[in-house]
Amino acid sequence: MNEIMAIAGGTWRRILRMRVVYFLIICVLILIGSAYNYDILSLGMHKQLMMDISLVLNTIAAILITVSITFEIPKELKEGVASTLLSKPLGRTQYLIGKLVGIIITAVVITGLITLGFIFLYNAAFGEVSGSMIKGHMLVMASVMPMAAIGVLFSVFMPEFLAATATVIAIWLAHSVTSLSKIKFLYGGIIPDLNLYNLRAEAVSGIHIGWGYMIAVVIWGIVFSIFATAVASLIFSYKDLK
Amino acid sequence: MNVIETRELTKYYGSLFWKKKEPALDKLSIAIPEGSVFGFLGPNGAGKTTTIRLFMDLIRPTAGEALLFGKPPDDLETKRQIGFLPDNPVFSSYLTAYEFLDICAKLLRVPSSERKKRIEEVVELVKMSKHLHSKLGGFSRGMTQRIGIAQAVLNRPRLLILDEPLVGLDPHGRQELKDIILHQKNSGTNVFFSSHILSDVEKMCDRISILHQGNLLCFGKLEELLSETGSRVHVKHGEDEIIKDLLPEATGTIRLSDGSWELVFQDKPELSKRIKSLAEQHPKAITITPSRENLEDFFFRKIENAKQII
Repeated sequence: MNEIMAIAGGTWRRILRMRVVYFLIICVLILIGSAYNYDILSLGMHKQLMMDISLVLNTIAAILITVSITFEIPKELKEGVASTLLSKPLGRTQYLIGKLVGIIITAVVITGLITLGFIFLYNAAFGEVSGSMIKGHMLVMASVMPMAAIGVLFSVFMPEFLAATATVIAIWLAHSVTSLSKIKFLYGGIIPDLNLYNLRAEAVSGIHIGWGYMIAVVIWGIVFSIFATAVASLIFSYKDLK
Repeated sequence: MNVIETRELTKYYGSLFWKKKEPALDKLSIAIPEGSVFGFLGPNGAGKTTTIRLFMDLIRPTAGEALLFGKPPDDLETKRQIGFLPDNPVFSSYLTAYEFLDICAKLLRVPSSERKKRIEEVVELVKMSKHLHSKLGGFSRGMTQRIGIAQAVLNRPRLLILDEPLVGLDPHGRQELKDIILHQKNSGTNVFFSSHILSDVEKMCDRISILHQGNLLCFGKLEELLSETGSRVHVKHGEDEIIKDLLPEATGTIRLSDGSWELVFQDKPELSKRIKSLAEQHPKAITITPSRENLEDFFFRKIENAKQII
Protein backbone atom coordinates (compact mmCIF):
# COMPACT_ATOMS: atom_id res chain seq x y z
CA MET A 1 0.00 0.00 0.00
CA ASN A 2 2.91 2.36 0.84
CA GLU A 3 4.33 1.79 -2.62
CA ILE A 4 0.99 2.57 -4.29
CA MET A 5 0.59 5.76 -2.26
CA ALA A 6 4.18 6.82 -3.06
CA ILE A 7 3.41 6.61 -6.80
CA ALA A 8 0.01 8.25 -6.29
CA GLY A 9 1.73 11.08 -4.40
CA GLY A 10 3.96 11.77 -7.40
CA THR A 11 0.96 12.06 -9.74
CA TRP A 12 -0.84 14.31 -7.25
CA ARG A 13 2.17 16.64 -7.05
CA ARG A 14 2.52 16.76 -10.83
CA ILE A 15 -1.06 17.86 -11.42
CA LEU A 16 -1.10 20.33 -8.54
CA ARG A 17 1.98 22.00 -10.04
CA MET A 18 0.23 22.56 -13.36
CA ARG A 19 -1.00 26.17 -13.37
CA VAL A 20 -3.53 25.30 -16.05
CA VAL A 21 -5.48 23.29 -13.45
CA TYR A 22 -6.17 26.37 -11.35
CA PHE A 23 -7.04 28.28 -14.49
CA LEU A 24 -9.49 25.49 -15.40
CA ILE A 25 -11.19 25.64 -11.97
CA ILE A 26 -11.53 29.44 -12.16
CA CYS A 27 -12.87 29.35 -15.73
CA VAL A 28 -15.42 26.66 -14.87
CA LEU A 29 -16.67 28.64 -11.87
CA ILE A 30 -16.87 31.86 -13.91
CA LEU A 31 -18.92 30.08 -16.59
CA ILE A 32 -21.20 28.52 -13.96
CA GLY A 33 -21.67 31.89 -12.27
CA SER A 34 -22.39 33.61 -15.58
CA ALA A 35 -25.48 31.41 -16.07
CA TYR A 36 -27.21 33.65 -13.52
CA ASN A 37 -27.30 36.42 -16.15
CA TYR A 38 -29.17 34.30 -18.70
CA ASP A 39 -32.54 34.86 -17.02
CA ILE A 40 -34.09 36.55 -20.09
CA LEU A 41 -32.59 34.23 -22.70
CA SER A 42 -33.64 31.17 -20.67
CA LEU A 43 -37.13 32.57 -20.03
CA GLY A 44 -36.54 32.58 -16.28
CA MET A 45 -35.01 29.09 -16.27
CA HIS A 46 -31.55 30.40 -15.29
CA LYS A 47 -31.66 28.44 -12.04
CA GLN A 48 -31.98 25.15 -13.94
CA LEU A 49 -29.50 26.44 -16.53
CA MET A 50 -26.87 27.07 -13.85
CA MET A 51 -27.40 23.59 -12.43
CA ASP A 52 -27.17 22.01 -15.88
CA ILE A 53 -24.06 23.97 -16.85
CA SER A 54 -22.37 23.15 -13.56
CA LEU A 55 -22.84 19.41 -14.11
CA VAL A 56 -21.71 19.57 -17.76
CA LEU A 57 -18.62 21.66 -16.98
CA ASN A 58 -17.70 19.58 -13.95
CA THR A 59 -17.91 16.45 -16.14
CA ILE A 60 -15.67 18.08 -18.77
CA ALA A 61 -13.17 19.06 -16.06
CA ALA A 62 -13.19 15.47 -14.78
CA ILE A 63 -12.55 14.16 -18.31
CA LEU A 64 -9.68 16.61 -18.89
CA ILE A 65 -7.97 15.66 -15.63
CA THR A 66 -8.40 11.92 -16.11
CA VAL A 67 -7.14 12.16 -19.69
CA SER A 68 -3.89 13.67 -18.34
CA ILE A 69 -2.96 10.16 -17.14
CA THR A 70 -2.80 9.06 -20.78
CA PHE A 71 0.05 11.53 -21.25
CA GLU A 72 1.84 10.74 -18.02
CA ILE A 73 2.18 6.94 -18.24
CA PRO A 74 3.40 6.69 -21.89
CA LYS A 75 5.77 9.63 -21.30
CA GLU A 76 7.25 7.99 -18.20
CA LEU A 77 7.62 4.74 -20.13
CA LYS A 78 9.20 6.46 -23.12
CA GLU A 79 11.65 8.60 -21.14
CA GLY A 80 12.68 5.82 -18.77
CA VAL A 81 11.28 7.46 -15.61
CA ALA A 82 9.11 4.36 -15.06
CA SER A 83 12.16 2.09 -15.38
CA THR A 84 13.90 3.81 -12.46
CA LEU A 85 10.79 3.41 -10.32
CA LEU A 86 10.19 -0.18 -11.40
CA SER A 87 13.78 -1.11 -10.61
CA LYS A 88 12.81 -0.52 -6.98
CA PRO A 89 10.73 -3.10 -5.11
CA LEU A 90 7.60 -2.05 -6.93
CA GLY A 91 5.44 -4.43 -8.94
CA ARG A 92 4.16 -3.37 -12.34
CA THR A 93 0.56 -3.72 -11.15
CA GLN A 94 1.37 -1.58 -8.11
CA TYR A 95 2.79 1.08 -10.43
CA LEU A 96 -0.40 1.15 -12.50
CA ILE A 97 -2.65 1.16 -9.43
CA GLY A 98 -0.54 3.96 -7.95
CA LYS A 99 -1.04 6.05 -11.11
CA LEU A 100 -4.76 5.26 -11.08
CA VAL A 101 -5.17 6.14 -7.40
CA GLY A 102 -3.17 9.35 -7.88
CA ILE A 103 -5.31 10.54 -10.77
CA ILE A 104 -8.55 9.54 -9.01
CA ILE A 105 -7.64 11.43 -5.82
CA THR A 106 -6.56 14.49 -7.79
CA ALA A 107 -9.64 14.47 -10.03
CA VAL A 108 -11.99 13.96 -7.05
CA VAL A 109 -10.37 16.88 -5.21
CA ILE A 110 -10.59 19.17 -8.26
CA THR A 111 -14.17 18.23 -9.16
CA GLY A 112 -14.95 18.52 -5.43
CA LEU A 113 -13.58 22.08 -5.44
CA ILE A 114 -15.72 22.89 -8.48
CA THR A 115 -18.77 21.39 -6.70
CA LEU A 116 -18.11 23.48 -3.60
CA GLY A 117 -17.65 26.59 -5.74
CA PHE A 118 -20.93 25.85 -7.54
CA ILE A 119 -22.83 25.28 -4.28
CA PHE A 120 -21.49 28.60 -2.98
CA LEU A 121 -22.50 30.44 -6.18
CA TYR A 122 -25.92 28.75 -6.41
CA ASN A 123 -26.66 29.45 -2.78
CA ALA A 124 -25.56 33.06 -3.15
CA ALA A 125 -27.76 33.49 -6.26
CA PHE A 126 -30.88 31.59 -5.26
CA GLY A 127 -30.57 31.02 -1.51
CA GLU A 128 -31.13 27.28 -1.70
CA VAL A 129 -29.30 23.99 -2.20
CA SER A 130 -31.04 20.78 -3.25
CA GLY A 131 -30.05 17.21 -2.43
CA SER A 132 -30.40 15.90 -5.99
CA MET A 133 -28.09 18.66 -7.20
CA ILE A 134 -25.37 17.62 -4.74
CA LYS A 135 -25.88 13.95 -5.56
CA GLY A 136 -25.53 14.78 -9.28
CA HIS A 137 -22.14 16.34 -8.59
CA MET A 138 -21.15 13.45 -6.34
CA LEU A 139 -21.70 11.07 -9.23
CA VAL A 140 -19.58 13.28 -11.49
CA MET A 141 -16.81 12.88 -8.90
CA ALA A 142 -17.39 9.12 -8.83
CA SER A 143 -17.23 8.93 -12.64
CA VAL A 144 -13.51 9.74 -12.58
CA MET A 145 -12.82 6.18 -11.44
CA PRO A 146 -13.98 4.26 -14.57
CA MET A 147 -12.75 7.08 -16.83
CA ALA A 148 -9.25 6.98 -15.29
CA ALA A 149 -9.24 3.18 -15.61
CA ILE A 150 -9.99 3.52 -19.35
CA GLY A 151 -7.09 6.00 -19.61
CA VAL A 152 -4.70 3.63 -17.81
CA LEU A 153 -5.76 0.75 -20.06
CA PHE A 154 -4.95 2.65 -23.27
CA SER A 155 -1.74 4.18 -21.84
CA VAL A 156 0.04 0.88 -21.33
CA PHE A 157 0.19 -0.02 -24.99
CA MET A 158 -0.25 3.21 -26.95
CA PRO A 159 1.89 6.33 -27.39
CA GLU A 160 0.61 9.38 -25.54
CA PHE A 161 -1.40 11.20 -28.23
CA LEU A 162 -2.98 8.00 -29.49
CA ALA A 163 -3.82 6.93 -25.94
CA ALA A 164 -5.37 10.33 -25.19
CA THR A 165 -7.41 10.26 -28.40
CA ALA A 166 -8.56 6.68 -27.80
CA THR A 167 -9.52 7.54 -24.20
CA VAL A 168 -11.52 10.61 -25.23
CA ILE A 169 -13.34 8.60 -27.93
CA ALA A 170 -14.06 5.75 -25.48
CA ILE A 171 -15.35 8.20 -22.86
CA TRP A 172 -17.50 9.95 -25.47
CA LEU A 173 -18.95 6.59 -26.60
CA ALA A 174 -19.47 5.59 -22.97
CA HIS A 175 -21.40 8.81 -22.33
CA SER A 176 -23.50 8.24 -25.46
CA VAL A 177 -24.75 4.77 -24.63
CA THR A 178 -28.40 5.81 -24.86
CA SER A 179 -28.14 7.36 -28.31
CA LEU A 180 -25.69 4.82 -29.71
CA SER A 181 -27.06 1.69 -28.07
CA LYS A 182 -28.04 0.22 -31.43
CA ILE A 183 -24.40 -0.40 -32.27
CA LYS A 184 -24.33 -3.68 -30.42
CA PHE A 185 -20.66 -4.58 -30.83
CA LEU A 186 -19.71 -1.46 -28.92
CA TYR A 187 -21.98 -2.05 -26.00
CA GLY A 188 -21.67 -5.72 -25.30
CA GLY A 189 -20.11 -4.82 -21.98
CA ILE A 190 -16.85 -3.61 -23.56
CA ILE A 191 -17.62 0.08 -23.31
CA PRO A 192 -18.84 1.12 -19.87
CA ASP A 193 -22.13 2.98 -19.53
CA LEU A 194 -21.04 6.35 -18.17
CA ASN A 195 -24.61 7.59 -18.62
CA LEU A 196 -25.24 5.95 -15.26
CA TYR A 197 -23.32 8.88 -13.76
CA ASN A 198 -25.36 11.48 -15.62
CA LEU A 199 -28.09 12.81 -13.34
CA ARG A 200 -28.56 16.15 -15.04
CA ALA A 201 -32.23 15.60 -15.84
CA GLU A 202 -33.02 14.48 -12.27
CA ALA A 203 -31.00 17.27 -10.69
CA VAL A 204 -32.52 19.99 -12.86
CA SER A 205 -36.07 18.69 -12.36
CA GLY A 206 -35.52 18.16 -8.64
CA ILE A 207 -36.34 14.44 -8.87
CA HIS A 208 -35.28 12.47 -5.83
CA ILE A 209 -32.23 10.22 -6.33
CA GLY A 210 -32.03 7.31 -3.91
CA TRP A 211 -28.82 6.38 -2.07
CA GLY A 212 -29.30 2.80 -3.28
CA TYR A 213 -28.83 3.95 -6.86
CA MET A 214 -25.79 6.03 -5.91
CA ILE A 215 -24.11 3.13 -4.12
CA ALA A 216 -24.92 0.67 -6.94
CA VAL A 217 -23.38 2.99 -9.54
CA VAL A 218 -20.25 3.55 -7.45
CA ILE A 219 -19.86 -0.22 -6.94
CA TRP A 220 -20.33 -0.76 -10.68
CA GLY A 221 -17.57 1.83 -11.29
CA ILE A 222 -15.23 0.05 -8.88
CA VAL A 223 -15.88 -3.33 -10.54
CA PHE A 224 -15.30 -1.89 -14.02
CA SER A 225 -12.11 -0.14 -12.85
CA ILE A 226 -10.75 -3.35 -11.35
CA PHE A 227 -11.52 -5.18 -14.61
CA ALA A 228 -9.90 -2.50 -16.80
CA THR A 229 -6.84 -2.23 -14.53
CA ALA A 230 -6.44 -6.02 -14.48
CA VAL A 231 -6.43 -6.09 -18.31
CA ALA A 232 -3.96 -3.15 -18.35
CA SER A 233 -1.76 -4.95 -15.83
CA LEU A 234 -1.77 -8.15 -17.90
CA ILE A 235 -0.69 -6.24 -21.03
CA PHE A 236 1.88 -4.26 -19.02
CA SER A 237 3.40 -7.40 -17.50
CA TYR A 238 4.56 -8.53 -20.97
CA LYS A 239 5.86 -5.15 -22.04
CA ASP A 240 9.57 -4.47 -22.46
CA LEU A 241 10.42 -1.19 -20.77
CA LYS A 242 12.90 1.39 -21.99
CA MET B 1 25.98 -18.05 -3.20
CA ASN B 2 26.42 -16.25 -6.49
CA VAL B 3 25.33 -12.64 -6.54
CA ILE B 4 24.37 -12.89 -10.21
CA GLU B 5 23.92 -16.02 -12.25
CA THR B 6 22.59 -16.37 -15.76
CA ARG B 7 21.80 -19.59 -17.58
CA GLU B 8 21.67 -19.35 -21.36
CA LEU B 9 20.01 -15.97 -21.04
CA THR B 10 18.70 -14.94 -24.46
CA LYS B 11 16.81 -11.92 -25.68
CA TYR B 12 15.33 -11.24 -29.08
CA TYR B 13 13.64 -7.87 -29.45
CA GLY B 14 10.41 -7.53 -31.38
CA SER B 15 6.72 -8.01 -30.80
CA LEU B 16 4.54 -11.01 -30.16
CA PHE B 17 4.19 -11.63 -33.90
CA TRP B 18 7.55 -10.45 -35.17
CA LYS B 19 11.04 -10.91 -33.82
CA LYS B 20 14.40 -9.58 -34.98
CA LYS B 21 16.58 -12.21 -36.61
CA GLU B 22 19.66 -11.41 -34.56
CA PRO B 23 19.47 -11.80 -30.79
CA ALA B 24 20.41 -8.82 -28.63
CA LEU B 25 21.77 -11.37 -26.19
CA ASP B 26 22.61 -14.95 -27.05
CA LYS B 27 22.77 -17.71 -24.42
CA LEU B 28 24.69 -15.72 -21.82
CA SER B 29 25.87 -17.91 -18.95
CA ILE B 30 27.88 -16.26 -16.21
CA ALA B 31 28.17 -16.57 -12.44
CA ILE B 32 29.48 -13.75 -10.31
CA PRO B 33 30.44 -14.67 -6.76
CA GLU B 34 29.97 -12.48 -3.69
CA GLY B 35 32.53 -9.75 -3.01
CA SER B 36 33.24 -8.70 -6.58
CA VAL B 37 33.48 -5.49 -8.51
CA PHE B 38 32.47 -6.73 -11.92
CA GLY B 39 33.12 -4.82 -15.14
CA PHE B 40 30.78 -5.57 -18.01
CA LEU B 41 32.46 -4.51 -21.24
CA GLY B 42 31.57 -4.43 -24.88
CA PRO B 43 31.21 -2.04 -27.81
CA ASN B 44 27.94 -0.23 -28.50
CA GLY B 45 25.15 -2.67 -29.29
CA ALA B 46 26.94 -5.57 -27.62
CA GLY B 47 23.98 -6.31 -25.35
CA LYS B 48 25.24 -4.80 -22.08
CA THR B 49 22.18 -2.66 -21.38
CA THR B 50 19.90 -5.50 -22.49
CA THR B 51 21.54 -7.78 -19.93
CA ILE B 52 21.23 -5.19 -17.18
CA ARG B 53 17.56 -4.59 -18.05
CA LEU B 54 16.97 -8.33 -17.83
CA PHE B 55 18.57 -8.30 -14.37
CA MET B 56 16.26 -5.48 -13.32
CA ASP B 57 13.14 -7.19 -14.72
CA LEU B 58 12.52 -4.27 -17.07
CA ILE B 59 12.48 -6.60 -20.06
CA ARG B 60 11.57 -10.26 -20.25
CA PRO B 61 13.99 -12.91 -21.54
CA THR B 62 13.13 -14.86 -24.70
CA ALA B 63 14.85 -17.91 -23.20
CA GLY B 64 17.05 -18.82 -20.27
CA GLU B 65 17.02 -17.26 -16.86
CA ALA B 66 18.75 -14.74 -14.65
CA LEU B 67 19.07 -15.16 -10.91
CA LEU B 68 20.04 -12.49 -8.42
CA PHE B 69 21.00 -13.88 -5.04
CA GLY B 70 19.51 -17.14 -6.29
CA LYS B 71 16.10 -15.64 -7.01
CA PRO B 72 14.40 -14.40 -10.18
CA PRO B 73 14.68 -10.66 -10.88
CA ASP B 74 10.97 -9.97 -10.28
CA ASP B 75 11.26 -11.02 -6.64
CA LEU B 76 10.49 -7.86 -4.65
CA GLU B 77 12.54 -8.95 -1.62
CA THR B 78 15.58 -9.34 -3.89
CA LYS B 79 14.95 -5.93 -5.46
CA ARG B 80 15.08 -4.45 -1.97
CA GLN B 81 18.75 -5.47 -1.82
CA ILE B 82 19.69 -3.93 -5.16
CA GLY B 83 20.61 -0.41 -6.19
CA PHE B 84 20.34 0.45 -9.87
CA LEU B 85 21.54 3.37 -11.95
CA PRO B 86 20.11 3.26 -15.48
CA ASP B 87 21.94 4.29 -18.61
CA ASN B 88 21.11 7.95 -19.26
CA PRO B 89 18.87 8.39 -16.20
CA VAL B 90 15.74 10.55 -16.51
CA PHE B 91 13.65 11.45 -13.49
CA SER B 92 10.33 13.25 -13.05
CA SER B 93 11.21 16.83 -13.95
CA TYR B 94 8.43 18.35 -11.81
CA LEU B 95 9.80 16.88 -8.58
CA THR B 96 12.59 18.31 -6.45
CA ALA B 97 15.57 16.08 -5.71
CA TYR B 98 14.28 15.63 -2.17
CA GLU B 99 10.77 14.68 -3.27
CA PHE B 100 12.13 12.18 -5.78
CA LEU B 101 14.46 10.57 -3.24
CA ASP B 102 11.60 10.53 -0.73
CA ILE B 103 9.45 8.53 -3.19
CA CYS B 104 12.38 6.14 -3.75
CA ALA B 105 12.87 5.78 0.02
CA LYS B 106 9.17 4.97 0.45
CA LEU B 107 9.38 2.35 -2.30
CA LEU B 108 12.43 0.89 -0.57
CA ARG B 109 10.53 0.89 2.73
CA VAL B 110 13.09 3.03 4.52
CA PRO B 111 11.43 3.72 7.91
CA SER B 112 9.87 7.20 8.01
CA SER B 113 11.92 8.16 11.09
CA GLU B 114 15.11 7.46 9.15
CA ARG B 115 14.09 8.71 5.70
CA LYS B 116 15.17 12.35 5.96
CA LYS B 117 18.52 11.46 7.49
CA ARG B 118 19.19 8.81 4.86
CA ILE B 119 18.34 11.20 2.02
CA GLU B 120 20.66 13.87 3.41
CA GLU B 121 23.37 11.26 3.82
CA VAL B 122 23.28 10.06 0.18
CA VAL B 123 22.96 13.57 -1.20
CA GLU B 124 26.02 14.55 0.81
CA LEU B 125 27.82 11.51 -0.62
CA VAL B 126 27.20 12.66 -4.20
CA LYS B 127 27.89 16.32 -3.29
CA MET B 128 24.40 17.56 -4.17
CA SER B 129 23.27 18.92 -0.79
CA LYS B 130 23.00 22.46 -2.17
CA HIS B 131 20.50 21.31 -4.80
CA LEU B 132 18.34 19.12 -2.60
CA HIS B 133 15.27 21.33 -2.98
CA SER B 134 15.77 22.24 -6.64
CA LYS B 135 13.60 20.74 -9.35
CA LEU B 136 15.13 17.82 -11.24
CA GLY B 137 13.98 19.34 -14.53
CA GLY B 138 16.64 22.05 -14.21
CA PHE B 139 19.54 19.67 -13.57
CA SER B 140 22.44 19.14 -15.97
CA ARG B 141 23.42 15.64 -17.18
CA GLY B 142 26.11 15.36 -14.53
CA MET B 143 23.81 16.52 -11.72
CA THR B 144 21.12 14.04 -12.82
CA GLN B 145 23.76 11.32 -12.85
CA ARG B 146 24.70 12.19 -9.28
CA ILE B 147 21.06 12.04 -8.13
CA GLY B 148 20.86 8.71 -9.97
CA ILE B 149 23.74 7.43 -7.89
CA ALA B 150 22.14 8.80 -4.72
CA GLN B 151 18.89 6.90 -5.37
CA ALA B 152 20.88 3.76 -6.17
CA VAL B 153 22.67 3.71 -2.81
CA LEU B 154 19.69 4.92 -0.77
CA ASN B 155 18.87 1.41 0.48
CA ARG B 156 22.50 0.53 1.30
CA PRO B 157 22.31 -2.22 -1.32
CA ARG B 158 24.05 -5.59 -1.28
CA LEU B 159 24.36 -5.33 -5.04
CA LEU B 160 24.86 -2.15 -6.99
CA ILE B 161 24.14 -2.34 -10.73
CA LEU B 162 25.40 0.65 -12.68
CA ASP B 163 24.85 1.07 -16.41
CA GLU B 164 27.52 3.37 -17.83
CA PRO B 165 27.89 5.32 -14.57
CA LEU B 166 30.87 7.36 -15.69
CA VAL B 167 29.21 8.85 -18.75
CA GLY B 168 28.26 12.50 -18.44
CA LEU B 169 30.58 13.26 -15.55
CA ASP B 170 33.52 15.63 -15.70
CA PRO B 171 36.96 14.25 -14.70
CA HIS B 172 36.44 15.45 -11.12
CA GLY B 173 32.99 13.83 -10.99
CA ARG B 174 34.39 10.62 -12.45
CA GLN B 175 37.02 10.45 -9.74
CA GLU B 176 34.37 11.05 -7.08
CA LEU B 177 32.20 8.29 -8.50
CA LYS B 178 35.13 5.90 -8.61
CA ASP B 179 35.74 6.71 -4.94
CA ILE B 180 32.05 6.01 -4.20
CA ILE B 181 32.24 2.66 -6.01
CA LEU B 182 35.38 1.70 -4.10
CA HIS B 183 33.77 2.87 -0.86
CA GLN B 184 30.75 0.67 -1.62
CA LYS B 185 33.06 -2.26 -2.36
CA ASN B 186 34.92 -1.75 0.91
CA SER B 187 31.65 -1.67 2.83
CA GLY B 188 30.75 -5.08 1.41
CA THR B 189 28.59 -4.13 -1.56
CA ASN B 190 28.93 -6.14 -4.74
CA VAL B 191 29.24 -3.86 -7.75
CA PHE B 192 28.31 -4.72 -11.32
CA PHE B 193 28.89 -2.02 -13.86
CA SER B 194 29.15 -1.53 -17.57
CA SER B 195 31.55 0.99 -18.97
CA HIS B 196 33.40 2.08 -22.05
CA ILE B 197 36.20 3.65 -20.04
CA LEU B 198 38.58 0.71 -19.92
CA SER B 199 41.30 2.34 -17.83
CA ASP B 200 38.77 2.92 -15.03
CA VAL B 201 37.48 -0.64 -15.28
CA GLU B 202 41.03 -1.96 -15.04
CA LYS B 203 41.66 0.06 -11.90
CA MET B 204 38.41 -0.83 -10.12
CA CYS B 205 37.30 -4.31 -11.19
CA ASP B 206 38.49 -7.67 -10.09
CA ARG B 207 36.37 -9.56 -12.60
CA ILE B 208 35.25 -8.69 -16.10
CA SER B 209 33.40 -10.04 -19.07
CA ILE B 210 33.42 -8.86 -22.67
CA LEU B 211 30.33 -9.04 -24.78
CA HIS B 212 30.20 -8.63 -28.56
CA GLN B 213 27.02 -8.70 -30.62
CA GLY B 214 25.18 -10.51 -27.86
CA ASN B 215 27.86 -13.18 -27.43
CA LEU B 216 30.13 -13.62 -24.45
CA LEU B 217 33.75 -13.41 -25.57
CA CYS B 218 35.44 -13.86 -22.23
CA PHE B 219 34.62 -13.95 -18.57
CA GLY B 220 36.75 -14.27 -15.48
CA LYS B 221 39.18 -12.69 -13.05
CA LEU B 222 40.89 -9.69 -14.59
CA GLU B 223 44.27 -10.76 -13.30
CA GLU B 224 43.98 -14.18 -14.92
CA LEU B 225 42.63 -12.86 -18.21
CA LEU B 226 45.39 -10.30 -18.58
CA SER B 227 48.10 -12.81 -17.74
CA GLU B 228 47.55 -14.37 -21.15
CA THR B 229 51.15 -13.42 -21.92
CA GLY B 230 52.63 -12.33 -25.16
CA SER B 231 56.11 -11.02 -25.84
CA ARG B 232 57.63 -7.67 -26.58
CA VAL B 233 60.62 -7.82 -28.94
CA HIS B 234 63.07 -4.95 -29.22
CA VAL B 235 64.99 -4.91 -32.53
CA LYS B 236 67.97 -2.57 -32.88
CA HIS B 237 68.24 0.10 -35.60
CA GLY B 238 69.53 -1.19 -38.93
CA GLU B 239 68.33 -4.79 -38.61
CA ASP B 240 65.91 -4.45 -41.51
CA GLU B 241 65.97 -8.13 -42.46
CA ILE B 242 64.79 -9.18 -39.00
CA ILE B 243 62.08 -6.51 -39.03
CA LYS B 244 60.85 -7.66 -42.44
CA ASP B 245 60.72 -11.20 -41.17
CA LEU B 246 58.82 -10.48 -37.97
CA LEU B 247 56.61 -7.55 -38.93
CA PRO B 248 53.75 -9.56 -40.51
CA GLU B 249 53.26 -11.57 -37.29
CA ALA B 250 53.34 -8.61 -34.90
CA THR B 251 50.09 -7.48 -33.28
CA GLY B 252 51.62 -4.11 -32.43
CA THR B 253 54.59 -2.11 -33.69
CA ILE B 254 56.31 1.00 -32.37
CA ARG B 255 59.18 2.83 -34.13
CA LEU B 256 61.28 4.39 -31.38
CA SER B 257 63.09 7.71 -31.71
CA ASP B 258 66.52 6.03 -32.00
CA GLY B 259 65.31 4.15 -35.08
CA SER B 260 64.87 0.84 -33.29
CA TRP B 261 61.59 -1.11 -33.32
CA GLU B 262 59.43 -2.58 -30.64
CA LEU B 263 57.19 -5.40 -31.80
CA VAL B 264 54.43 -7.04 -29.78
CA PHE B 265 53.53 -10.68 -30.35
CA GLN B 266 50.82 -12.92 -29.06
CA ASP B 267 51.71 -16.04 -27.22
CA LYS B 268 51.73 -18.63 -30.04
CA PRO B 269 54.09 -21.62 -29.54
CA GLU B 270 55.48 -21.72 -33.11
CA LEU B 271 55.99 -18.01 -33.26
CA SER B 272 57.72 -17.96 -29.86
CA LYS B 273 60.05 -20.70 -31.06
CA ARG B 274 60.93 -18.71 -34.18
CA ILE B 275 61.57 -15.52 -32.23
CA LYS B 276 63.73 -17.40 -29.74
CA SER B 277 65.82 -18.91 -32.49
CA LEU B 278 66.22 -15.48 -34.14
CA ALA B 279 67.29 -14.04 -30.80
CA GLU B 280 69.88 -16.79 -30.44
CA GLN B 281 71.22 -16.02 -33.92
CA HIS B 282 71.30 -12.24 -33.30
CA PRO B 283 71.78 -11.82 -29.57
CA LYS B 284 72.94 -8.21 -29.87
CA ALA B 285 70.12 -7.14 -32.15
CA ILE B 286 67.12 -8.67 -30.42
CA THR B 287 65.92 -8.39 -26.84
CA ILE B 288 62.81 -10.30 -25.75
CA THR B 289 60.73 -9.28 -22.73
CA PRO B 290 57.52 -11.00 -21.69
CA SER B 291 54.60 -8.60 -21.93
CA ARG B 292 51.37 -8.35 -19.97
CA GLU B 293 48.57 -6.75 -21.94
CA ASN B 294 46.62 -3.91 -20.50
CA LEU B 295 42.84 -4.15 -20.55
CA GLU B 296 42.54 -1.88 -23.55
CA ASP B 297 44.81 -4.08 -25.72
CA PHE B 298 43.11 -7.19 -24.42
CA PHE B 299 39.67 -5.74 -25.18
CA PHE B 300 40.52 -4.73 -28.74
CA ARG B 301 42.24 -8.03 -29.44
CA LYS B 302 39.19 -9.97 -28.30
CA ILE B 303 36.84 -7.79 -30.33
CA GLU B 304 39.04 -8.03 -33.45
CA ASN B 305 39.24 -11.81 -33.11
CA ALA B 306 35.47 -11.99 -32.76
CA LYS B 307 35.01 -9.83 -35.87
CA GLN B 308 37.29 -12.13 -37.88
CA ILE B 309 35.33 -15.20 -36.78
CA ILE B 310 32.03 -13.54 -37.68
